[in-house]
Amino acid sequence: MDKIKYGARRLAVMGMMLAMIAVLSALEHSLPPIPFLPPNVRLGLSNIITMYAFFFMGPRPALLLTVLKSLFVLLTRGFNAGFLSLCGGLLSVFVILLLVVLSRNRCSYLILSIAGAICHNLGQITGASFLLGTPLVLYYLPVSLVFGVLAGAVTGALLRAVMPLFDRIFDKWG
Amino acid sequence: MSQKLQFIKKKDLWIISGLLAAAFFMLAVLMPGSAKNAGCYAEIYYDGKLAATAYLDEPRIFSIDGLPQVVFEVKDGAIAFIRSDCPDRICVNTGRLDRAGQLAACLPNRVSLRITGGHDDGGVDVVAR
Repeated sequence: MDKIKYGARRLAVMGMMLAMIAVLSALEHSLPPIPFLPPNVRLGLSNIITMYAFFFMGPRPALLLTVLKSLFVLLTRGFNAGFLSLCGGLLSVFVILLLVVLSRNRCSYLILSIAGAICHNLGQITGASFLLGTPLVLYYLPVSLVFGVLAGAVTGALLRAVMPLFDRIFDKWG
Repeated sequence: MSQKLQFIKKKDLWIISGLLAAAFFMLAVLMPGSAKNAGCYAEIYYDGKLAATAYLDEPRIFSIDGLPQVVFEVKDGAIAFIRSDCPDRICVNTGRLDRAGQLAACLPNRVSLRITGGHDDGGVDVVAR
């Protein structure tokens, strides 16, 4: 059973989550790039919320949040950024879903978070290759694996840390 | 989907090590020679087509046809985007490239820069288009 039922409460929770995603994504984008890393490498803090939505409300709300987040990026940062956000987000949600289903719920949060981060990268690189008309995927694959593992571990640990808090907030609401 | 999963399992460490090992293996194949490769040249792709090549040992500042707002500079055996009108400047911030396999791209202007050539970059030649 989904923890949060359909209806007004669910709508309110989704709206709140989308607001958190927007804030985290804007915040992360306004921070200076992480030193010693390529300038387009970011942690993907807002994915924490999407993952929480995925695990506690199901894949469909997570998918909806992903699409809405891309719309927010499209509005605030333009077509390219929005398109890449959509590519990364969709691939990431689909692969996490695939892993959960294939492993019959036996993957840990950490692995799912890492898989999500890697696929977010790969989706963006694929989208970028498409926009550029030049294949980049092979060149960036090793780098995105390494940074995906790092970013996935960090966001997974953060998710783990805020989970009890979120549970309290959303339990009270839902 | 609401039952709690474990945060980490012992098996995870193997998966992570496997991923990292694969990544480093690919890095070793795709980017041979961590030293600067003499005789490398940069290929500049605009809209998916090769628009210019530049040898890294011939210092110059240039733009490609049809894209005067993006400026490249070759200096001290490295090439960099030094100016672009794009909003995020990821291309400029990528900095100087001097090794085979390195890559910088400017999505808004649909232009990418890739270092190829050098002496032993057989791995890069394998990439099919």
